[in-house]
Amino acid sequence: MSFLIKNGTQVRNIIFDFSRLRISPQIQQTRGRTNLNRPKLKNPSWFVKKERAGFQDYITPENQTFIQEVLHEQFGAPAIIKGVQSFQSHSLIKSDELEKHAWDPAFRRTGVLGRKIGQYPLWLKDGKRIDTTLLQVVDNHVIKYIPPEEFSPSIKPRINKLNKYGCLVVGSESVDPTSLTKDYCGLFRDSGVMPKKNLGRFIISPEAQLLPGTPLNVTHFKVGNYVDVRGKTVDYGFQGVCKRHGFKGMPASHGVTRTHRRPGNIGGGGEKARVWPGTKLPGHMGNRWRMNKGLKIWRMNTQYNVMWVSGHAIAGPTNGLVYIFDTILRLRRPGLSPPFPTSFEEENKESLPVDLYDDEVHRFEDSTIFFEPEKV
Amino acid sequence: MIISRLINKRICNATALQRAVSSTSSSQNAITSESPKHRRTSLVSPSYRFMYPEFLPDPKPEWRNLIREKLERKDMLARRSKIEMPSEFYVGSVLAVTSSDPHAAGKTSRFVGICIDRQGCGLRAKFILRNVIDHQGVEVLYDMYDPTLQKLEVLRLEKRLDDKLYYLRDCLPEFSTFDLNMEADILPEGSEVPINDTKAVLKPRPWLERWERQDLKGISNLEEFLTPKMVRQAKQRETPWEQYDLMKEYRRTIPAEEQSQIYSEVYSELHQFELARKKMKRKRNIPSKLA
Repeated sequence: MSFLIKNGTQVRNIIFDFSRLRISPQIQQTRGRTNLNRPKLKNPSWFVKKERAGFQDYITPENQTFIQEVLHEQFGAPAIIKGVQSFQSHSLIKSDELEKHAWDPAFRRTGVLGRKIGQYPLWLKDGKRIDTTLLQVVDNHVIKYIPPEEFSPSIKPRINKLNKYGCLVVGSESVDPTSLTKDYCGLFRDSGVMPKKNLGRFIISPEAQLLPGTPLNVTHFKVGNYVDVRGKTVDYGFQGVCKRHGFKGMPASHGVTRTHRRPGNIGGGGEKARVWPGTKLPGHMGNRWRMNKGLKIWRMNTQYNVMWVSGHAIAGPTNGLVYIFDTILRLRRPGLSPPFPTSFEEENKESLPVDLYDDEVHRFEDSTIFFEPEKV
Repeated sequence: MIISRLINKRICNATALQRAVSSTSSSQNAITSESPKHRRTSLVSPSYRFMYPEFLPDPKPEWRNLIREKLERKDMLARRSKIEMPSEFYVGSVLAVTSSDPHAAGKTSRFVGICIDRQGCGLRAKFILRNVIDHQGVEVLYDMYDPTLQKLEVLRLEKRLDDKLYYLRDCLPEFSTFDLNMEADILPEGSEVPINDTKAVLKPRPWLERWERQDLKGISNLEEFLTPKMVRQAKQRETPWEQYDLMKEYRRTIPAEEQSQIYSEVYSELHQFELARKKMKRKRNIPSKLA
């Protein structure tokens, strides 16, 4: 009897040991979505800490001027280029180093980073007034090109056949690198340009790639073509229903008590007994990326890199950052070739006029508009 | 320095204005007394801020952008070179506007009326003309830089007692009736702009606005329509301290230093237009004297 018991414990121990080895594939059952099921966020390589901690360096004034000298030797003396404070960098880029491709409507070109600098009206030749917004392309340079094989963002943009496209990192507005971290400055090492204040990503066809350090100007676009403009809306904070959704509110008097700017009834009752999803309620307003699509370029100024774009509801405040790119609307895509992959302004500097207008736009230096009387 | 930034038309009487101007010019001279280049800025007349108010941008700091303002000014001057525009007109002046109109017979229309308001800055500058035609009050809002405007004439250059004359809508029609074939009376050169102190007669209520709350000087019979309650409420809402609020003034206006900078930039062109206009005027006057 005791032998049997001994044997039994031995067998049990062996079974226990085997179960710990997990030779047989055990399937772990998971119920519902837990935190572990979330996709891992992988930020792009250029999302590094930008600003340096502001501690005192105790550098002597002589050394400070020396640092500035080294800086200007490397990147050029500070200068206002096309209305933007920048550096007189000597371009190292040769546009003929890249293989040239003829433009095809299927190609995706890069976009540019701009600032919304205000709005004012223009008039058409038929006397019609149009509202336009002025966008300035602020000191743009190409920083990096990521070919399609290496480009795999963790959050996939909604683009068909993403594996066909590469990514171009574009920077705008040069800044003094002494205020930036070493990591951030390192992003610009290979491009040969000054560290930039803003970085943006554009998904492009490999044929439209550009060498790092290439400047991008407003002539990247053509007058008369259409663009999409993406900006971050004005941050209004937590707002009530009248401001956020344009509710009418309730009367000021006639027995109304304490419900002048409230939403009122939000549905429910009876069988529903709940608030329906999507009900307009108070909440955070603004500070979201929004895109205005299919805006026509009416006019350009090559001296200050400014374009006049139709509409006055472009997302963001005045002097806010915007992304400008060729429109995705099929019917408004350019019929003729835009500058491909971009316009190299240094090649045709002399022939470039200061102001470029659409055919429909009345120029302010033209004479007054007269309408021809009808012939009877 | 703070005084120099005050440019309120209402509270700045002539002496205060002079003081403001002299303080800025003296300070400028003190800074740049050696370089003759900077002295040229003092050529700009201090009255430019009233003559050409639309050249000053909106003072709200978050709406400002120097490049946009520069481009805007360039466009304004380009348009001014192509149109006969008076060098100055004010709220209360009587204007005649000839404009291209696709719907008018002959494709041009001419409207005469009193300017009841000027608003907007830059290319968005506009003004409202009011007249009574066939017993019907008519108001037209014109964009100053609209290229369909052919001609802008000042028939009577004068100011009124108030900055805005919207109350003429509620006054008897004779106060906003002007002859469409009115002839221009030209002021002698160098004379001051006269202030017309006619007081309009208000019609009984209902009114479009609560005129009793607006501290208007151009209405003669406001008191006869007011109930004690209206008087009391108007008194409650008075803000007499606002004219001493320096910060409010500062936010409402462009600093005087910046104004002189802006006007010195456009001075040469504007002065050229003024000279050309004077020449044209002389040419026009000569044949009339002969006849």
